[in-house]
Amino acid sequence: MDFLYSLFVGPFVDMFSTPDFLLQVLWEGFVTGTLYSLIALGFVLIFKASGVFNFAQGIMVVFSALTLVGLYQAGVPAYLALLLAVGVMALLAIGVERLVLRHMVNQPDIILFMATIGLSYFLIGLGEFIFGGETKSMITEQLGLPTGSTTFAPFGGVLILQHIDIAAVVIAAVLVAGLAFFFSKTRIGRALRAVADDHQAALSVGISLNQIWAIVWFAAGIVALATGIMWGARSDVSFALQIVALKALPVLILGGFTSIPGAIVGGLIIGFGEKLFEVYWGGLLGGGVEGWFAYVIALIFLLFRPQGLFGDKIIERV
Amino acid sequence: MSFDVGYTTADGRTIGGVLMEMKNITLRFGGVTAIKNISLDIREGEIRAIIGPNGAGKTSMLNVINGFYHPQEGEIIFRGEHRKRMRPYQAAKQGISRTFQNVALFSGMTTLDNIMAGRQLKMHKNFLWQMLRYGPALNEEIEHRRKVEEIIDFLEIQAIRKTPVGSLPYGLQKRVELARALAAEPSLLLLDEPMAGMNVEEKEDMSRFILDVNDEFGTTIALIEHDMGVVMDLADRVVVLDYGKKIADGTPNEVQKNQDVIDAYLGVA
Amino acid sequence: MRVRVGVSQQGCLATLRWRSGGNILTSRIAPTGGLDSIPKLLARNAREFGDRPASREKEFGIWQSWTWAEVAEEVNALAMGLLALGLNANDHVAIIGRNRPALYWSMVSIQSCGAVPVPIYQDSVAEEMAYVLDHCSARFVIAEDQEQVDKVLEVQERLPALEQIIYYDKRGMRKYDHTAMNAYRDVQEEGRAGHYRLEPILQERLKSVNYDSTCVMLYTSGTTGRPKGVVLSNRNIIEASRTSAEFDHLNAGDSVLAYLPMAWVGDFIFSIGQCYWTGFCVSCPESPETMQEDLREIGPSYFFAPPRFFEGLLTAVMIRMEDAGPMKRRMFSYFMAHAKKVGGRLLDGKPVSLIDRLKYALGNILVYGPLRNRLGMSRVRVGYTAGEAIGPEIFEFYRSLGINLKQLYGQTEASVYITVQPDGEVRPDTVGVPAPGVEIRIGETGEVFYRSAGTFVEYYKNPESTKSTKDPEGWVATGDAGFFDEETGHLKIIDRAKDVGKMADGSLFAPKYVENKLKFYANILEAVLFGAETDKCTAFINIDMSSVGNWAERNNIGYSSYQELAGHPKVLDAIQAHVEEVNASLANDPMLNGCQIHRFLILHKELDADDGEMTRTRKVRRRIIDEKYADLIAALADGSTEISTTTEVTYEDGRKGSISATLEIRDAKVFPRRAEAA
Repeated sequence: MDFLYSLFVGPFVDMFSTPDFLLQVLWEGFVTGTLYSLIALGFVLIFKASGVFNFAQGIMVVFSALTLVGLYQAGVPAYLALLLAVGVMALLAIGVERLVLRHMVNQPDIILFMATIGLSYFLIGLGEFIFGGETKSMITEQLGLPTGSTTFAPFGGVLILQHIDIAAVVIAAVLVAGLAFFFSKTRIGRALRAVADDHQAALSVGISLNQIWAIVWFAAGIVALATGIMWGARSDVSFALQIVALKALPVLILGGFTSIPGAIVGGLIIGFGEKLFEVYWGGLLGGGVEGWFAYVIALIFLLFRPQGLFGDKIIERV
Repeated sequence: MSFDVGYTTADGRTIGGVLMEMKNITLRFGGVTAIKNISLDIREGEIRAIIGPNGAGKTSMLNVINGFYHPQEGEIIFRGEHRKRMRPYQAAKQGISRTFQNVALFSGMTTLDNIMAGRQLKMHKNFLWQMLRYGPALNEEIEHRRKVEEIIDFLEIQAIRKTPVGSLPYGLQKRVELARALAAEPSLLLLDEPMAGMNVEEKEDMSRFILDVNDEFGTTIALIEHDMGVVMDLADRVVVLDYGKKIADGTPNEVQKNQDVIDAYLGVA
Repeated sequence: MRVRVGVSQQGCLATLRWRSGGNILTSRIAPTGGLDSIPKLLARNAREFGDRPASREKEFGIWQSWTWAEVAEEVNALAMGLLALGLNANDHVAIIGRNRPALYWSMVSIQSCGAVPVPIYQDSVAEEMAYVLDHCSARFVIAEDQEQVDKVLEVQERLPALEQIIYYDKRGMRKYDHTAMNAYRDVQEEGRAGHYRLEPILQERLKSVNYDSTCVMLYTSGTTGRPKGVVLSNRNIIEASRTSAEFDHLNAGDSVLAYLPMAWVGDFIFSIGQCYWTGFCVSCPESPETMQEDLREIGPSYFFAPPRFFEGLLTAVMIRMEDAGPMKRRMFSYFMAHAKKVGGRLLDGKPVSLIDRLKYALGNILVYGPLRNRLGMSRVRVGYTAGEAIGPEIFEFYRSLGINLKQLYGQTEASVYITVQPDGEVRPDTVGVPAPGVEIRIGETGEVFYRSAGTFVEYYKNPESTKSTKDPEGWVATGDAGFFDEETGHLKIIDRAKDVGKMADGSLFAPKYVENKLKFYANILEAVLFGAETDKCTAFINIDMSSVGNWAERNNIGYSSYQELAGHPKVLDAIQAHVEEVNASLANDPMLNGCQIHRFLILHKELDADDGEMTRTRKVRRRIIDEKYADLIAALADGSTEISTTTEVTYEDGRKGSISATLEIRDAKVFPRRAEAA
């Protein structure tokens, strides 16, 4: 009876008795969700354009953040370091296209997937070799990102919003809007959609797959860098971050592998869901729910809606 | 036959000099030889057909021309220049457009977007301008749209301008594919079985469009076709392949009388 | 030749509604202000509405438009070009193509030269085209494109009079022999270049064009025999356009979409007659396939379509709604039910409660408005349908949405208008009151006759047909039988006149009208009515196996064959109920209440084309049935309650056999005339 109460009644009583706390939980969920969305976005971009599931996306988040901090620690001014980090992501994109993808055209998907696993170990090794394996902290203030917090008093309670969280949400929104516009309104955007639809046809109208791949990996790199900065500022920069990056997988299953809106909505659902569940139901299961909640949701989706919320329904005439 | 002097066709059109020449092309996949030592030329302004039974190497031939395949032996001379190993998008840049046997469209996009994508190479303005939808990029977009609308009018597909191509019937998809190829204003248009899977009426329409494209824009066309009747009506010159070898080359009349051709066709029939 | 200038009788003619039997001489109305031809109307429009749009056409995805001043220039340039090519006065010039501004202009250019435009159905096969071109001895043909040129060239050898082909769309035409062929724009250029030389000749030709010269010749696609060339004068066209425009208050601000064949009289009246009279703008679709989308973009205020168009559109709407989400579907059916209740009444200006008005206003925002927009009828002020009967449900659907759809009855020979429905007096089962300036008389046999300023001049080169259709006093036989509904004063059309007979007492016998009423019931597949020249009508009924069979299964009635089911007393009861309902409704028709069915039987076999009882298109062959079932018909007449018969049948494999049966004959209740009952 107690068990049923704490499952179906207690949490809701808690929610309504302290609405300010509920708001706090929702806000935390929203910020985490935004960052999940960004990571998933990186996956989707690459998957759409090349059909490759980029296992290295998580490492790219860590690697880009490490590069930024590493350059700063080596004495490069913060903004220049940011610019150089962007440059490094561009080089990485071109490098991946030249050295890996170009030689693997028309290989089965699984081979390409293996290649990205290889890439991720290469990046881990390279990162440790150059910047060392120890945990670093993000250069938040030096980059001009806000710190501190603002306190509100809704429903007579307390709601604390970290400024860095607000910044993260704003930057993520701007990034997503920019990418969406870029891919829907420009020539390169049209080319990307063309490549996503049909490789051969795209080639025949003069679209260079290599160029598009490089552009897409670069875009994914930028997204990774932004995620790395935000996540790093909330905790710190270490290779442990890549575990978080793996959360993108359930997000993708939820949103569909090819849909940008899907990545965003999926990220937010997982973000909200796991925070709410952790706080209100976590005690019931002994805590640590955040670690596996997303995967359970993904499993349920795989059973009932394998194409995800926004996945492509195949419309074809025979 | 001299290489730079053209000829006059049965219906009185003047055909120019050689646009593309392929010399002793051999293409192998592993142990299989798809094309064996084939030479052929395509002249400015003509409709050139490549025919032959299934597996004769026709599509391989087109794939060599637009850079999907790289032959192990032989050389290709396009517009008087020896062509090096070339990627498909580079071939497109040089003015070679094509359609595919099994329709390769961007099925999630509308007819209009598909054709606009065909103008990819004609667009030059910086993407930043395009993002701002301002200044030179806006004028460029309008200019491209005008050109695309002319093609839509030409191929009579106004009614499906904003329909996603994935939901169109097959015959119309083929027409959209032709429109996309035309959007690049090609100097050489490759058509891989443009009439496959069409009914009689659609075939007639498509034949008319092919002739009109050739007539109105002076586009050189190389096409593969199964239907002998269609080929005889459309083509100025026909090359016949069988098991990767060239067995005849000439006007439709000459080819029709060729004993090897008759044998090859009866052999499969 | 000058037209007699008389007193303007506009006012009294517009209100004249002649019910029947009258014999007033047609008033000869003279044109006001010398506007006695289309070219003169064009000159006036160019002067008075010079900057207003006259024609629009969508090309390359963009609506192009021409002002009246620009149209006048285009028309004159082509006219002068035609003169340069040697077009003579009174020549016939054929126009073949889909609705395009340039082709409409060419008709006016031809008229300016004193010649006669003959628009031809663009989808006619070469054979039909050859007949028409030869019959009118066309010297010039203006064709839209290569396809039409090819059709003309195909039959060229049979057209000794043909001299010049002018084509509008240059595509694919370069290879053709141009010794007797020119591009439309080249002809115009020639005209412009020869301006100084040709302008005086054109002015001279224009002078000879008057109210009684031929405006256009239209071929009727007769159901039997060769098409006939209906000669319509400027008087016919301008009077019909003027009176109808006044009737519906059409003006220069209206807009129409021209999409029906140019060779059809309706299109000529709408897109040339009324357009030039009022000065409104005519838009042409980008292609026939884009018509629906173009309709939406243009949003015409005046619209005509045949019933099948409205039917198709309604089906499309219903299919879309089937695919819509449950929320949307529920909203749609809720508000459509409300519209059905009050929409029509609101449109007719009848009283509606405030609550219902508010509910309709809400529905207008949520459902009707968006739907009208989707249909391209947001701005339709006057909509017409004609040609065949429109289903009452379809008709009322559009009216309930607030679209003022009306019916009219017309003919090529009448320059369209015979009867029209005035605003606020719209009914699904009538065709309206006599159009302004039209007199109507119902003949002895029930045939509808009319006389009006729009009445045609003659059938070209066919004096016999002219004589048999139009009498010396100007009355024209429509070939349709009909009567005026006493209550509403509206005309109802029954059937083709030749199919309508008389009862012994002289009242009308209209079998098809009654049979159609019976066939309206799902249980009745076919019906054959007897009774011409007798006192009482009787009928054969064929039941509908699927519908009645279904009913039988639900009611546990066993049967093994059509014959068994047809003879079941309960089936007879059901059919009797239907027959009596039909009788009740016939009793309300003063002209047709003699056709009530006194006795009927259900046939023991289905009427079948294999037995020669029907045509392959499922029309009953009355003569064969009269012979084959003479015994049954006699039994129906002599009052017996039962009859045994044997009938020969042909099986599907061609073998012949026979079936015997004893059929029950039922008496049905008949109703007194309502007038007598009251």
